[in-house]
Amino acid sequence: MTAVAAKPAAGAAVDMPAMIIGIIILLVIIAATYFIVGPGLAFMALIGVIVGGILIGFGVHFVPVGGAPAAMGQAPGIATGVAMLAAGAGLAGLFGGAWAAQTTDNLLVIVITGAIGGGLMMAITCMFVTFIYVYGMGIPNASGKVAKDPITGDTQTEFKSQGTEGHGLPFVSYVGGVIGGLFGGAGGTLIYLMLLDVYKDELPAMMNALPAQILPIAISLAGIFAIGMFLVNAVLAAYNITGTIEGPHDPKFKRFPRAIVACATASALCGMVAIMIVAV
Amino acid sequence: MTVKVEKIEGGMPHSTIMIAGLIAAVVLLYLTYANVLVGTEYFAFFGGLATVAALVWGSDTIKMLCSYGIGTGVPSAGMIAFGSGVIAMLFATKYGIAAPIVAVVLAAVIGAIIGYLANNVVNMRIPVMIQSLVEMAIIGAVVLMGYAAMMTGSFELTSLTTGNVSILGLSLPSYQASFLGGALIAAVFMLGAIAIQHPFNACLGPSWTQDRMLMLAAECGFLSMIVAAVMSMALISMSAALISLFVAVIGWYYTYTKYIELAHRDAAAWLDTKPIPELVEGQ
Repeated sequence: MTAVAAKPAAGAAVDMPAMIIGIIILLVIIAATYFIVGPGLAFMALIGVIVGGILIGFGVHFVPVGGAPAAMGQAPGIATGVAMLAAGAGLAGLFGGAWAAQTTDNLLVIVITGAIGGGLMMAITCMFVTFIYVYGMGIPNASGKVAKDPITGDTQTEFKSQGTEGHGLPFVSYVGGVIGGLFGGAGGTLIYLMLLDVYKDELPAMMNALPAQILPIAISLAGIFAIGMFLVNAVLAAYNITGTIEGPHDPKFKRFPRAIVACATASALCGMVAIMIVAV
Repeated sequence: MTVKVEKIEGGMPHSTIMIAGLIAAVVLLYLTYANVLVGTEYFAFFGGLATVAALVWGSDTIKMLCSYGIGTGVPSAGMIAFGSGVIAMLFATKYGIAAPIVAVVLAAVIGAIIGYLANNVVNMRIPVMIQSLVEMAIIGAVVLMGYAAMMTGSFELTSLTTGNVSILGLSLPSYQASFLGGALIAAVFMLGAIAIQHPFNACLGPSWTQDRMLMLAAECGFLSMIVAAVMSMALISMSAALISLFVAVIGWYYTYTKYIELAHRDAAAWLDTKPIPELVEGQ
């Protein structure tokens, strides 16, 4: 009911004063953190968390989220909500990144491993979704937003059923899904890694214990905060696209600047509190 | 400005539920502090009851927010509640006895900023957005703190991070066998997030009635409490965990039968499908 009948009227317009207030809140949080913890590992971690949040928010815009209409074959995309899809891709990325973090200290390698984890999850999801659409539901893949697929150049209109906004998962949406998974996995892993570094550094002194003893707590804290921030960013980005999007070719994709401001501010806020646990 | 798509009339006003839920949850959280005062762990089950109170309030908040048709599905509201709540809750545990109050205040601040971002920056323009996300963040923080208090007997950071392992009769401190070190918080995160979004997701529609939804919320809360009580056996004494389990099972059974009664009342017709059809001889 909520997903089908109620297309929210939140338009594509950018509310400039609100955007500026959002950016001011972001700068105030960064400045406050700088004054409290000083230039060092904790401050760099906040910057990393903000970058990670922006990656997540941007990545969600690539993922073809279909929602309930897609499940009924009336709109293209994967037939579930953003929160589920982003959580799937982001957590798969987080597992990949956390696994890599055990074996190496190279930031780039860890973040790319996380990105591959998220991208792989989305690739597998998109593939099986296409199998089910084509062989299970018997619907062809056709986009409703563009006449030609921007990547393959295939025409779409003659495959589109009347009265629908398209259906199935066109090739460009598949590619968008994988790109979104890459961004989401990289962002989630970056947040995890930054917080893990801070906790590994600060917790032994705070709890008066050896670094090896403290490791489970540092990993658990960083992990749960990464999940929490991932979900906050993913839902904010989902609100930005009002639930459904076809992929990078959808006109709604152009709304991403709003999500970037919102996600950067929300990540900065959550990141500051997460760092304060050990820094104050 | 979006259009309201669901009726909201009938039942108790939301503000009553909000105030009752907030006071009940915080008072029940503080009742677990009796553990510290008396020196036992038997009062841990009050933490579970606090989660039920907060979840009942939370399902009504989700109803208020999602009746505007946010387009992203009801589960997303539960996810953002716990995503912002977990951050406030873990920070607040640093403050010892003041933890529940700090959690509520900090969660309200985080929720207000995220609500402003969602309403104005992302341009959702839903009248109840900011208020709802403030409430959701508080609920997320209180529910997680309730589970923490239930599973460890306390809501302070030291007891969440330090557990005990007994080796050959000796009790040794261990960081791995704790609420945080064992990552049990990830399990209760999902237990709470699913319990908060399910009631409205299941009951929405033209025949929505408030008492049925709130009863389902309490049922989901007690169901999650059963699982949390089983998990708490690893962290607190077995007898205290069994008391939690007993309270949870009793509460679940009562709310489940009540919910089925209310579902009978609201249903147009009721066909009792038997679980497994019995094989009739000679057919």
